[in-house]
Amino acid sequence: MIDSILLVDDEDLFHLVFEDACSLLDITLSLQSVSSADEAEKMFKEWYNNNNKTEDRPECVFVDLNMIGSSFDGIELIRRINFEYGNHVIIGIISSSDEPEEQAKAVKAGAQFWIVKTDDIEPRLEDFRKDFNKYKNGKTSFKVYK
Amino acid sequence: MVIFDKETIKQLINLYESRKIGLEGNIAKIIETDDKEFKKYLETCIENDNENRRKRLTITKQIQTQNTELTKAKQENERINLELKAALVQAEEAKKIAEGDLDLLQKRTQFELIGLIVKIALSVIVSVGFITTFIYLYIITIGGDTKIIESSWSNMFGILLTNSFSIIGTIMGVKYASDKQDKK
Repeated sequence: MIDSILLVDDEDLFHLVFEDACSLLDITLSLQSVSSADEAEKMFKEWYNNNNKTEDRPECVFVDLNMIGSSFDGIELIRRINFEYGNHVIIGIISSSDEPEEQAKAVKAGAQFWIVKTDDIEPRLEDFRKDFNKYKNGKTSFKVYK
Repeated sequence: MVIFDKETIKQLINLYESRKIGLEGNIAKIIETDDKEFKKYLETCIENDNENRRKRLTITKQIQTQNTELTKAKQENERINLELKAALVQAEEAKKIAEGDLDLLQKRTQFELIGLIVKIALSVIVSVGFITTFIYLYIITIGGDTKIIESSWSNMFGILLTNSFSIIGTIMGVKYASDKQDKK
């Protein structure tokens, strides 16, 4: 089970879907959701300025690719978390897009996984849960779940 | 992990038995106990919570699908509206062109008619002038009495000239009226 998860997605309905799916699949017991990349960046900035306490941070971050109401997209958020706020998290994209070009950009920004968001998200989350320890141990490269 | 004392466990079980109020959410998954009855209570709470989550998940997904369809329908409507507006603009332009063409055709027909009238009228005038002049010259040549033809010739020319100016005046008037209408 993943210790704690942060979901960054502008779609509030998806927060509910994700929360219920995570609970039913026993993926995590601790889930926090925010609606914009700016909010997520603010959280990481605070953690970073607060002596970079890793125990306060989520273990895994799921970021939507395009978020209405955000100053920048999900890939930029991943880049900032990885290169400006000290990394320490397993981070990837969860999006309805399945564009290889975007995925290549995400890899450059430091994303470790890409989950394609469809109506039936549970099987992909289940697969991700199975692979999570590999991500934790750095034994797996970028993977797309679709 | 969370451990409850016996009194709390008893209260929780009683609450569920009397009013069907149980623990909800992930909290039930992190409570530890050796009490068999409370274990069963926790399993029931987790099962109820999962059941509620399944129902909510199904409904949320349905709403999500409907939202997506609504967004697509809205986009399609906007696209159709834009197309309709463009078609309306095109139709207006076509109407203006057709009206212009019709006006032009009417004017052309009008001018052609005027041209024909002028040609015929001038032909008649010139012909009558020629015939009268020819007869007058003929009579002068043969040395006949020219008194009647002389006055006829001058009267005829007077009338023909008056008619000519009248025709020219009418044509100019029509042309002026047409120009004025165009400017309007």
